[in-house]
Amino acid sequence: MDFGLVLPTGARESKDVDLAIIGGGPAGLSAGIYAKRAGLEAIIIDKGNAGGLAEEAPYVENYLGFIGIKGEDLVKEFKEHAMNYVEISERNEVEEIKREGGLFVIKAEKGEYKTKAIIFATGTTHKVLGVPGEKELFGKGVSYCVTCDGYFYRGKKVAVIGGGNSGAIAAIYLKDIGVEPVVLEYMPRFMCEKAYENIIKERNIPYYTNVQVTSIEGKDKVEKVVYKDRNTGETKEVEVEGVFVYVGLIPISDLAKNLGVKTDEKGYIKVDLKMRTNVPKVYAAGDVTGYAGQIIIAAGQGAMAALSAYEDLMLH
Amino acid sequence: MGYIQDKDKKYLKGEFDKNLKEDVYILVFVGDNCQYCSVASAISQEVAELHPKIHFEEHTIGDELSKEYGLEHAPTVVITDKDKYGGRIRYVGLPSGYEFSSMIEDIIDVSRRMAEVSQEVLEKLMKIDKPILIQIFVTPTCPYCPRAVRTSHRFAILNKNITGEMVEALEFPEWADKWKVMSVPHIVINEDVQFIGAYPDEQYIEYVVEAYEKMR
Repeated sequence: MDFGLVLPTGARESKDVDLAIIGGGPAGLSAGIYAKRAGLEAIIIDKGNAGGLAEEAPYVENYLGFIGIKGEDLVKEFKEHAMNYVEISERNEVEEIKREGGLFVIKAEKGEYKTKAIIFATGTTHKVLGVPGEKELFGKGVSYCVTCDGYFYRGKKVAVIGGGNSGAIAAIYLKDIGVEPVVLEYMPRFMCEKAYENIIKERNIPYYTNVQVTSIEGKDKVEKVVYKDRNTGETKEVEVEGVFVYVGLIPISDLAKNLGVKTDEKGYIKVDLKMRTNVPKVYAAGDVTGYAGQIIIAAGQGAMAALSAYEDLMLH
Repeated sequence: MGYIQDKDKKYLKGEFDKNLKEDVYILVFVGDNCQYCSVASAISQEVAELHPKIHFEEHTIGDELSKEYGLEHAPTVVITDKDKYGGRIRYVGLPSGYEFSSMIEDIIDVSRRMAEVSQEVLEKLMKIDKPILIQIFVTPTCPYCPRAVRTSHRFAILNKNITGEMVEALEFPEWADKWKVMSVPHIVINEDVQFIGAYPDEQYIEYVVEAYEKMR
């Protein structure tokens, strides 16, 4: 039997590096490998576990070389690969970044790091839906992580709000572990990849379209989701014991913004094709740049960012 | 074949060689009708075999030591120096999945006889002079949970009044139901103050202080 034993990684002391990579998801891990192989002294700093949101993905079926793999298993491969090259400091939240001479000083929970360049691979976090009841019933039936909390709902009915890829994968995962999910999608059609649409149909997972959720209700815990049918304008409800919210992502870019890095109106960091931001020796890669939200793209961008850092630090 | 893969063993051995200082004990408390007791012992034993400073012992819930530590559930895994840390750094249920990494980090910190927090948090932590029990309900597939577990264990290393107890919610569903656990990590302090989520030390300590203030 597989108990999915996950290894820790971890520097403790402060150090000086050429390149600090903030965020240990696919983009950051890939950047770490490329940086170290190019000859840069680098460190990856992650506020939680290395792996990023990819770790929450129940299945990944579009990463080259893997027909189907659990997000946590794919991330474990990434992490072990990167650990051969680069130090990964986990559970080490960056609190502040300052400039000192030509260097950046990163103040984090476990230490202070002086660096010549920074890659922001800080990723995204779950967006909240913003309807009445969502905040009040968080932890009482409202959740944002199926791998964390899905098992509490075995044999019960839940709603997955949002029918994009993340929501679709969440619903399929829930069904597989014995939960009865219903997907509620705002748009009038399937919003996930065709491959997921097919699985949802095969497994008879209800997928309601044109649903505008207006509230999540319940006394001490979730009892129902109330919504407007955008087709008819009617108010309807669906009785559920849990609600998993997958309505999109928001970028984690405040640290970058404080350094003067430009973002778009949603907060995604603006980069050029070589992953350079408007601030010299500051780069961004992965979901925080707002491109696609795909693991393979994040990994590619991480590699590109590291190569650009190498070019700027060593060749100029 | 063991539970830990060979390449993982190699990595762990390297980490232990680099970081271990003093002796550290993994005590596994087993009991009757316990689905995961033998696995908890086997995994712990495999870890202990990786370094001479790590020692494995199997005990039974109900024996002298379990009473001294106040343990009631099997399996409970305790990481300790068998002295000042007593039974205060513990896992009720199997530390599998992401919690395996917490256990390894605990072994290193206990062996170093220290843990890191900021000066600000340390000052608040040191004012706690009455017993505080921090229970963290987790699932093994929750990537955010180890942070909440490890914070309690780091606090326990730094202050002898604090006990950090991970509880595997799926192995102990009735216990989890008692606290209406539906999202993890779900933290219960002194069976009173509760919060959900993996917060930074600065926020975490405020909940501990709140529970402490309520005792006065």
